[in-house]
Amino acid sequence: MDVFGSFALVLAFVCAVYAFGGGIAAIVTRHPLLIKSTRQAGMATCCLIFLATFSLEYLFFSDNFSSAYVVAHSNRDLSTFYKIAALWSGQEGSLLFWSFLLAIYVFSVLITYRNKNGELMPYVGVVMAGVQIFFLTLNNFVESPFRALAVPGANGAMDLVARADGNGLTPLLQYPEMVIHPPNLYSGYTGFTIPFAFALGALLARYPGEKWIHLTRKWTMIAWMFQSMGILLGAHWAYAVLGWGGYWGWDPVENASLLPWLTGTAFLHSVMMQEKRGMMKVWNVWLVFCTFLLCILGTFLTRSGVVSSVHAFANSSIGNWFVGFMGIILLACFGAYFKNRDYLKSENQLDSIVSRESSFLFNNLILLVSCVAVLSGTLFPVFSEWFTGNRISVGAPFFNKVNIPIGLLLLFLTGVGPLLAWRKTSTESLKRNFGWPLGIGLAAGVIALVFGFREFYSWICLLLCVFVASTVGMEFYRGARVIRARSGASFMASAVDLTMRNTRRYGGYMVHMGMVFVFIGLAGAAFNRDLQKDMRQGDTMQIGPYTLVLQGFETKPEKNYTAQRMLVEVLRDKKPMMMLYPEKRRFATTVENGTMVAIYSTLKEDLYVVYAGTSPDTQLPVLHAYLNPLVKWIWFGGVVVVFGTLVALLPNRRAVLVLSGAQQPAAQPLAHGLTPSVTLREGHD
Amino acid sequence: MTKARATAAIMMLAMLAVAPLLVAPLGAQQLSDRAKQIGGKFMCMCTCSQVLTQCNHIGCTTSTGMLKELNQSLARGDSEDTITQMFVQEFGTKVYAEPPKSGFSLVAWALPSVYLFVGTGVVIFVIARWRKRPAQHAAPAGGAPGISAEMLERARAQASRETQD
Repeated sequence: MDVFGSFALVLAFVCAVYAFGGGIAAIVTRHPLLIKSTRQAGMATCCLIFLATFSLEYLFFSDNFSSAYVVAHSNRDLSTFYKIAALWSGQEGSLLFWSFLLAIYVFSVLITYRNKNGELMPYVGVVMAGVQIFFLTLNNFVESPFRALAVPGANGAMDLVARADGNGLTPLLQYPEMVIHPPNLYSGYTGFTIPFAFALGALLARYPGEKWIHLTRKWTMIAWMFQSMGILLGAHWAYAVLGWGGYWGWDPVENASLLPWLTGTAFLHSVMMQEKRGMMKVWNVWLVFCTFLLCILGTFLTRSGVVSSVHAFANSSIGNWFVGFMGIILLACFGAYFKNRDYLKSENQLDSIVSRESSFLFNNLILLVSCVAVLSGTLFPVFSEWFTGNRISVGAPFFNKVNIPIGLLLLFLTGVGPLLAWRKTSTESLKRNFGWPLGIGLAAGVIALVFGFREFYSWICLLLCVFVASTVGMEFYRGARVIRARSGASFMASAVDLTMRNTRRYGGYMVHMGMVFVFIGLAGAAFNRDLQKDMRQGDTMQIGPYTLVLQGFETKPEKNYTAQRMLVEVLRDKKPMMMLYPEKRRFATTVENGTMVAIYSTLKEDLYVVYAGTSPDTQLPVLHAYLNPLVKWIWFGGVVVVFGTLVALLPNRRAVLVLSGAQQPAAQPLAHGLTPSVTLREGHD
Repeated sequence: MTKARATAAIMMLAMLAVAPLLVAPLGAQQLSDRAKQIGGKFMCMCTCSQVLTQCNHIGCTTSTGMLKELNQSLARGDSEDTITQMFVQEFGTKVYAEPPKSGFSLVAWALPSVYLFVGTGVVIFVIARWRKRPAQHAAPAGGAPGISAEMLERARAQASRETQD
């Protein structure tokens, strides 16, 4: 099967080269057969990558320990579930997995547009094939996952061998989220290839810019959604497995995943300027280019060893390949831009500074500032070593100080944006739209102060969260009220109807609401506290309202590991509540240990209990307990963000109702002076 | 909106507002831990890229040793500066959890502000330019070199003709 997989990869490489070269020839000659054959070569490339990936999975499932990659990342007792995850647990397999996910996207695009956009697709196909060639080069010639296990023989030659069992999967990866977090994150990274291919293809084809935006909107949102899910699942994995009580440590690899998410978010906002007003075309093209470049940069940082990280793959010389690839991308982007930039001219002027357009500009500014601040902080240790010879670390305290104010500013704009009208917002309208949300937000702030809330950033965050939630609520309320007045349906049914009539707009508001929940959760971090104690049986520990009693300690052999766990009884107000079982896992195949944190989670707080090993001084088991307020809001917010994105991806149920004066003679201007036609107009706002 | 619904909406918003209040007393009760506070300013040197007090390796001997040194220094009554010097001498400048606010490290602190100011300047410049510019479709594209308005319109029509959503 390893030979089959290798062969499939080589063939895939050949097909991709043909799709690339033949695609260029097809663009030049416009020969229909050539166009068709290159498209089919693109599809064949994808199918061959699928075959290669399934071959590698087969090697895992069949415990084929003559394969070097399988020996390094699996063993016989590893559960089937984790044998799937073993595919991406090492450098070689994860690069193949990159190719696999990219192939799914490419195949979907080629199938979706097989009979459409005949002039544009050859350009798009060439760009996609170019990206595939790069990854297939790595898969075939640099980091092949199909290398046979070999040891030096007596005569100096390498002898092929097979082992009885493998080294097993890293304990940190033996957690259910590791089976879903990397696929999500990689789907985000790879997904941004599609908007990139359309943007570059459209620019090369001298398309003025509107069309590629329409064509790629959904692909961009899908990639963004996966990236968001990947980041949040990664945070949850770090929280539940690493056992340090936090979910985001500003590790270079974590930062790398955040960078394209920030520029992707900026793009999803600024693209509305282009659709609505024909503005920011150059900016949007470059945002897509940068997002894709940052995806490649993130992959480079994770794999090159240029920055140290607990999440990084082993150091290798692969970094040079990525640097070269990024150089080629930059050259292609600059070349296409300078050649055809005249086709990206804006069509409209800005009528007023106080307008939706301005708010999007500032939203983009803040997102980009956050992105470059995180990027420069991540790379600063490398720069400091270049310039001074000393490597200066940049850890979580720096990133928190820099990014908390930026995040709050962004949260503020999240509330302001929807309240501003396109083109121009009058002072009267400003007063009307801002009055209630601002009042409610300030009232929440005052109540918080009265109750002794003294953490400045958390207080501001609370105030802004209430402000943004109010603006979102008002948007739904106003729209649903108009529909209810006309249809007589219940308010909830009207709100659902409203959402389904303009899924993009109201799905977007749901995403904003999800972000509010995430920010509420983040604000809770200011009140985290923890306690660590060496525990004898019967000893107690008090943290917040909870009393933890160590009832015992047991060792439980499992198939792939031996679990040592503490039996911790939790009491509240002296009444027994539950048992928690934090455990440490000793794996048979590796010296590393794994942790399983025990968490009692409520909307108010998480009681987070870790078995932190044995004290070297007392030889007693150590219990480390954390009380982390509001963490659950983050995960809940993540679910709302994903749900909102899915809603935004749905097609509108039917044509948006436009209530003209003739159709609705009795229609009165709504409270706040909005006419129904304004509230329900079709659009992408 | 009926009265009941208005009440429900206000209650929901109030709940949202009150949620973080639930944790306020926790903050007030928390005792300061000097070792934890100072330890939060250094990185663990076990290559995990974590702050010393948050190193997540079970049985990490590096962080255990560093925290022990820190506790001993505090017990001796050493100042924060002395402890910092001790760790920098032992591990080099990479022990800092955040760049010190001196020398070349100042660049790290200055950059985000520079980005913000430069970015704001660019946005203001763009807004000013956009406000002065007449709408493109209303005027010939003579202001920009390269292609004419007709060519641009032809390209737009071609893109529209050749693509489907």
